[in-house]
Amino acid sequence: MRTLLLTVSVLALLVFAQRVPAESASPLELRVLSSRTLSGTAGDFVEVVGEIANSSAQATDSITTYLSLVDTGTKMPVDLEDWSAERGLFIGSIDAGQTLPLTWKIHFVQPGAYALAIVAAVEGRDQPIISALTFFKVAAKRNLNPGHVLPVALGEPLLLVFAFLLLKYRRDRKHP
Amino acid sequence: MLRLLWSKELKAGLYTWKSLAWLLVTSLIFSVTSYLMLTNRELSLLDQTEMLWLLSKVILSAALLVVVIDSSSLITSEFEQETIECLFLAPLTLKDFVLGKLAVSFTLWALVYLVAAPYVIVTSAGSQLTCAMLGYTALYGSLTVLGFTLLVFAVSFFYRSLRNTLTTSLTVLLASSISALFSSGLKRSAFARALGSINPLDNVFASLDNVLVDYQVSLGRNLSFLLPLVGFCAVMFGFLLLALRAFSRKGITKD
Repeated sequence: MRTLLLTVSVLALLVFAQRVPAESASPLELRVLSSRTLSGTAGDFVEVVGEIANSSAQATDSITTYLSLVDTGTKMPVDLEDWSAERGLFIGSIDAGQTLPLTWKIHFVQPGAYALAIVAAVEGRDQPIISALTFFKVAAKRNLNPGHVLPVALGEPLLLVFAFLLLKYRRDRKHP
Repeated sequence: MLRLLWSKELKAGLYTWKSLAWLLVTSLIFSVTSYLMLTNRELSLLDQTEMLWLLSKVILSAALLVVVIDSSSLITSEFEQETIECLFLAPLTLKDFVLGKLAVSFTLWALVYLVAAPYVIVTSAGSQLTCAMLGYTALYGSLTVLGFTLLVFAVSFFYRSLRNTLTTSLTVLLASSISALFSSGLKRSAFARALGSINPLDNVFASLDNVLVDYQVSLGRNLSFLLPLVGFCAVMFGFLLLALRAFSRKGITKD
């Protein structure tokens, strides 16, 4: 299911981003509102705030909205499993002219440059609806300094090998 | 006599570099674990306290594995090599015999602890938890090593065979540690909680979590985890007494 969602979202990003005029006829509109506050440092928790608006004259039912994230550096989709506990938001019904808020809390796991969009799949509709892409960067951060551990991680096994060799040398001298 | 037995075992077991190779392997496990934790991009985002908790679990698991495997052969080897008769021809009491072997197990644990200490110090640098981690690892390591060694010795006296003793002891160790693989959802069930409250390793890991992640450093705050562990040692001591009584009754040659 996850793979299917990822595949659909990437295809949606690639195909529908170039077909904005065709999508303008869609009764639903998706917007990312928090694009300016998205960038941060790895380890940060941020909120992706968006909204879904129904500009048509009739209500729309059974809408599943979810985030689609692409690493623009590696050109690969990102599995959101580690990034967010809230995968998809289901909207039972949205009335005509109504706008509903959408919020996801995400954890910046990997540093890098990303493109994010909100995607909506409406029951009975073949094509998904997608918001404009929002670009953001996640800066690298380490809580711990790995430099401290390297001398011990390398030094201690070497010290033990040295101690064993010394033991062997002393034993060989004692019992030639 | 006890000291003589202890030094005899150490000389026999730890004299050559080959018989100390496990110590090098243990050190490599700690090296790989601590380096991986601190340099892996995603792991390095964990709080330092969670990292210390993971490391303490690795240290205790490695120590228990080493001690259980080695202790399994301490007594059974005397039976299998038929040296136990000669031992008891010397002025050696059964109590001295068991205490001497127990001292050897504790020496192995002390060696693992000494190897692990530098990793604890560098990994916990800046967290103000170095002393707590060293102290609690020593305390819980000693208690679990004591409990499991008593169990292994009791099984050794019953079976008198290395293969059976090793299989049984490792199975018990695995059964105790298997709950660590359970998801948090599984651990929340009433049955899992009841099992966890008497499982020595569950209590050790929960207490280390309490100390290292929740900063509940005082002994008073960890008594609820410590007491079941003491109870486990007491039960294993009783089990060993039973095994010793059976051994005294049956004698060195079983049939």
